[in-house]
Amino acid sequence: MALRAAVLRHIRLPVQTLAATGSRPQPQLSFLRLFSSHDDHLTKEEVIDRVLDVVKSFPKVEPSQVTPDVHFQKDLGLDSLDNVEIVMALEEEFKLEIPDKEADKIDSCNLAIEYIYNHPMAG
Amino acid sequence: MSGATTAAAYLARRAAQKERVRILYRRALKDTLNWAVHRHLFYQDASDLREKFEANKHVEDLDTIDKMIAAGEATYDKWRHPDPYIVPWAPGGSKFTRNPVPPSGIEIVYDYGREEND
Repeated sequence: MALRAAVLRHIRLPVQTLAATGSRPQPQLSFLRLFSSHDDHLTKEEVIDRVLDVVKSFPKVEPSQVTPDVHFQKDLGLDSLDNVEIVMALEEEFKLEIPDKEADKIDSCNLAIEYIYNHPMAG
Repeated sequence: MSGATTAAAYLARRAAQKERVRILYRRALKDTLNWAVHRHLFYQDASDLREKFEANKHVEDLDTIDKMIAAGEATYDKWRHPDPYIVPWAPGGSKFTRNPVPPSGIEIVYDYGREEND
């Protein structure tokens, strides 16, 4: 999964020069273009990077303290309402709709990353 | 009615109230975003909403808290947006069940009308 994403990012398509006599060009498929959105999941590093960016840009948080396993209320000293705001910001970032009961349980960066990574529709 | 006398029952009731408050804040914030689409307006309204929640933060009496939560939920119901933004693939969104998974056992044969004696 990560390999394919890395390949799609850095691929160079070789230029085909056709002979003038009309010899049949051999189509070389250097990569596979997938137009389906069902296989296009985020990689874990992308999820971690985006989640940390969202948390760092929260005004009540010091960016230097944010690590992938930080707890919002214990380590960052946030309120439970701040927790709600961070979860809402994550929903907006990844275009998700998290049910209320699930959103209440997301307390730390770990849980947020796990939930988003395992969500099939995480954008 | 003496309410919650044991410590565990008191804590359980407080925890339930805190969860109700969190869910109410979450819904009110989403509703605010539905009404105030432009971000600068949304930030102001979100700050006002937060102030209202913070003002009642130090109430200790369980029954008062219950009444306040009920009043907050009534206000939320009154102000609910008639056409909220829902993420397209979620229930209520525009893409929900738009392309359901085809039932298993169905297969499209791409033979373009080819007949067997070709």
